[in-house]
Amino acid sequence: MPGFLKEFFNRNGTGMGLTILLLVLFWTIGLIILPQLSMLDFSFRPNLPPPEIGGPKDVYTLENYQYLVYGPEGGSQDYNSVDLRVFFRTLIAAVCVTIFNLILCYPIAYYLGQSKGNHIRIFAMMLIIPYWINEILRAFALRIIFGETGVLNTIFVGLGIWDTPFDFIRNDIALYAGLGYAYILLMIFPIYNVIESLDHNQIEAARDLGAPWWRIHWRVVIPYAKPGISSGCTMVFMLSAGALAAPQILGGPSSLWFTQLIYQQFNDNNDWPQGAAYAIVLLVTCILFVLAMMRLFKVNMGDIGK
Amino acid sequence: MNMSFLRLSIWVYLAIFFAYLLGPLVIMSVTAFNSSAFPRMTPWECLTFQWFAELFQDQRILNGIKNSLIIGAGTVVLSVAMGLAGALMLTQVWPKLRATYYTIIIAPILIPGVVLGISTLVFWDRINRMLGLGADSVLSNGIFLTVIGQSTFIASYCMLVLVARLQRYDIALTEAALDLGATHAQAFRKILLPFMRPAIASAAVLAFLASFENYNTTTFTFGEYPTLTIELAQKVRYGITPAISALAFIIVALTVFFALLNEAKLKRQELVAAARQKATVEELAGKVRLPSFFAGNMAAVLLVVFAVATITVVGTATAYNPQQCIANVKEQKRLEAEQRIQELRKQREEQRKQREAQEAEQGAAQPATPRPSNNSGFGNVFAPNSLGNDGNESDDATPETDDAPAGNGGFGGVFDPNSLQGGD
Amino acid sequence: MSAGIGVDLQNLWIRFGDFVAVRDANVNINGGDFFSFLGPSGCGKTTILRAVSGFLEPSEGNVLIGGKDMKGIGPNKRPTALIFQNLALFPLMKVWENITFSMEIKGTSAVQRRKRADELLDMIALPGQGDKLPSELSGGQRQRVAIARALCAEPDVLLLDEPLSALDLKLRQHMRTELREIQQRVGITFIYITHDQGEALTMSDNIAVMRAGVIDQIADGKTIYNDPATAFAASFVGENNVFRGTVKRVSGSEVLIATGRSGDLAARISTANQGKLREGDEAMMFVRPEALSVATDGMSGDHCINVRVKHEEFEGNVFNIFTEDAGGKEIKVSLPNTGQSFQDHTGQTITLEYETRNAVAVPAGELAAE
Repeated sequence: MPGFLKEFFNRNGTGMGLTILLLVLFWTIGLIILPQLSMLDFSFRPNLPPPEIGGPKDVYTLENYQYLVYGPEGGSQDYNSVDLRVFFRTLIAAVCVTIFNLILCYPIAYYLGQSKGNHIRIFAMMLIIPYWINEILRAFALRIIFGETGVLNTIFVGLGIWDTPFDFIRNDIALYAGLGYAYILLMIFPIYNVIESLDHNQIEAARDLGAPWWRIHWRVVIPYAKPGISSGCTMVFMLSAGALAAPQILGGPSSLWFTQLIYQQFNDNNDWPQGAAYAIVLLVTCILFVLAMMRLFKVNMGDIGK
Repeated sequence: MNMSFLRLSIWVYLAIFFAYLLGPLVIMSVTAFNSSAFPRMTPWECLTFQWFAELFQDQRILNGIKNSLIIGAGTVVLSVAMGLAGALMLTQVWPKLRATYYTIIIAPILIPGVVLGISTLVFWDRINRMLGLGADSVLSNGIFLTVIGQSTFIASYCMLVLVARLQRYDIALTEAALDLGATHAQAFRKILLPFMRPAIASAAVLAFLASFENYNTTTFTFGEYPTLTIELAQKVRYGITPAISALAFIIVALTVFFALLNEAKLKRQELVAAARQKATVEELAGKVRLPSFFAGNMAAVLLVVFAVATITVVGTATAYNPQQCIANVKEQKRLEAEQRIQELRKQREEQRKQREAQEAEQGAAQPATPRPSNNSGFGNVFAPNSLGNDGNESDDATPETDDAPAGNGGFGGVFDPNSLQGGD
Repeated sequence: MSAGIGVDLQNLWIRFGDFVAVRDANVNINGGDFFSFLGPSGCGKTTILRAVSGFLEPSEGNVLIGGKDMKGIGPNKRPTALIFQNLALFPLMKVWENITFSMEIKGTSAVQRRKRADELLDMIALPGQGDKLPSELSGGQRQRVAIARALCAEPDVLLLDEPLSALDLKLRQHMRTELREIQQRVGITFIYITHDQGEALTMSDNIAVMRAGVIDQIADGKTIYNDPATAFAASFVGENNVFRGTVKRVSGSEVLIATGRSGDLAARISTANQGKLREGDEAMMFVRPEALSVATDGMSGDHCINVRVKHEEFEGNVFNIFTEDAGGKEIKVSLPNTGQSFQDHTGQTITLEYETRNAVAVPAGELAAE
């Protein structure tokens, strides 16, 4: 290690080397590692008023995690069925959103990746522009469309297709559309990047050998694009499971998202350790799920983010 | 036949896809100009610019914009600096550490924003207490916490953008500069930094946009300094007004403007490079004859069209007065409402008469009719009318049904189809 | 010629982990010399150059420039300028800004820099091209700009890392003469790295032949060609026919080597190995193709080899005859084209002869890869 450091300073000079090193250490240790560890530690502590922190009552406890499974002590139910249901519903919905996005985006990414010409640049611009616009405003736009008196209901009822306005929000359709909408770009770009580097001759060759179009995709394009697909799916899954704005704006009053529970613990109940424990559960579950999926589909961690 | 069908279906798919992508933005933008108090496209009432005026009088929005700009600036500086340092480190880190290091700096992209917000809050709160500082210290300041929390993951985005460019950098260039007598700092400033400038600009724009629109992390850290996004979320959660559409329209317009500007600039650079290739030595020394700005530059043309359109709209907005139209719509609504009341009375009257007639008939045979059957009979008669099956009155009835929840008084309850079905 | 600043390497070792890139190098480079390090890729010659320019700290030993130890002195403080293999011209700077970068660092005004750049551009025969970007120049022009940029820093020692390898053959040959001319004009020490023996031989005052981190021989070009110190130097520089065998008899500076199939052959022991070969030692003998000639019929002895002609080739200035001896070992003969009609020997058995002083014997050792 000292040899590495010496070479590092030789290469960058003392001043520059020190600046780089300090910035990187601040980022990795001060912003990434320590806060996460701190949150982990915090989640094992009881919720105490500030003067008692560090006092005799400040001991490690599992009560925050037990709460998620069993509910409040002496509660009427054996399990915390409300929170657990929200938790699993969030995960399942996030998986659905991911699959929906993959199906929606794969053809577009393939088309953009394999076509040449000026119009591709315009398409790319049209893809990016919505993502320069505030997340809240994107959700708001969907609410205008899906609201009870929104555009869709006005049109369909006006045309006489439906008798009564359909409640998209209560039925979570608005939420899924909104989550899907929010992460389209994150799905398209990784896949596009990989498919762009796929030699078109491979496809031509497969077509030449008489393969139908679906077989070409199944046997040639998808295996090649696997790193991009897994990268896109991972990001969309993690971000939609961790989404907060879209569920708050587009979610129905009765259907909560797990992040909303965390938010409530922090802001409404003022129970930070409980919120931290929930956040840890969400983070760990998502990571384990992604790792399991990666193992199932035989993908490497190093491909993510490329 | 098969090929052309495939081609057609691709275009149809693209059309649907982009409609999904851009449609909401277009609809939202349009609602900013409709005088209806609820943001909607149909029915179109009056062209108005009042929502823009309302927007600019909203102190909370303006304050949010101010906070967002301050936090955005801080985040851009911090995350670009950390991203650049992280990228430089990635290109020369000890090979055995490389994979671990990469995982650590890429992880914040995948960590949910709420988790980042919470961990930032918890960690700095603890540091604050360890240092024995009060609740008003810098470390618990909302701007500081938000910048720190956002930079944690925005720096990862910046790092990805920067490392892509850095991989094309020839380290021999820095060595050449050193060899010619430059210090490391000079080599960095005069050689590496100019080379990285386009990527740094992209990273800075990306960082600013990401900071500006961030909600998940900021919602835990903002403290006394709510950003625009936080204010918007509060507003949207507790009732939506077209003033938000107006803000959205401004943001969309600015985005399109800068996208076109950037595209035009890129295209121009291409043209300039092409012109230089052809230029003679004397021309290079003096002035290169460049093609005019618009030649072969589609984006520039669009940019001008866009600018002209903006000026026209702003011009119209200052000259235009929708008061008359709004008054007309109000008047029309009032008339409709009155008509509706009268219809209702008439219907009730008829029903009452009908019922009396029935009761008179039935009363002769069965004097004691149970009440519930009356109720159901009431509903059955009522439902078809309200749903607009009833001749020429239906045209008026339909829009009124839509208006109901937005607050046109007691009619909502009566005409709400749900309540009817419920009563059935 | 002025006695410029010389460079000395003393007991220089450079290691990367377990790998030894340079092993105990001792080199004396005189001031004002054109000195080349010649060797195949991966032999450590670029590593030596980087140690001289200051990008690498030697693991052991010293680098002296003008007699001064350079330990702890960074590349930006050393009186050297390096021309990189890929030139490393700054892509975003115009040609004149590139050339005068070293002056910009010192804070010289733009007017003065421009003036100096124009002088240097005249010197490298690119007048008026200062406002172009490097990407707008041809390969040879870029080459010259890189030289001008290095010279503008007024170094005492100019280091060149295979700067011609990216050029096409014709341009490369032209640049050789140009480089040599520039070196003689400015009179500073040039240290040149190459794997091309033609470049080394034509330009250099002295050459160090390197193999796998070890310097085999340091001498002027003629000596290295005619009197190689090792089997590697003999086989790497120029073409050579090699014969392996054991020493049968040593008599003064001559030796008789038993080669088996080619019989016993006489050779001269190379200067560096005088007294080192003894009877029974494994040895190698090298005879250049141009040192062989076709003997008149019936000749035999310890300087004659019987061979069968496989095929012949006309190269303009020489005829090449490819033959093999009784053991199937290939032997190449080059005969100068004297204008006489050439007799085709293909398929025949002939006898080759050489003068003993043109055959060099060295201890057996590693040969250069083909």
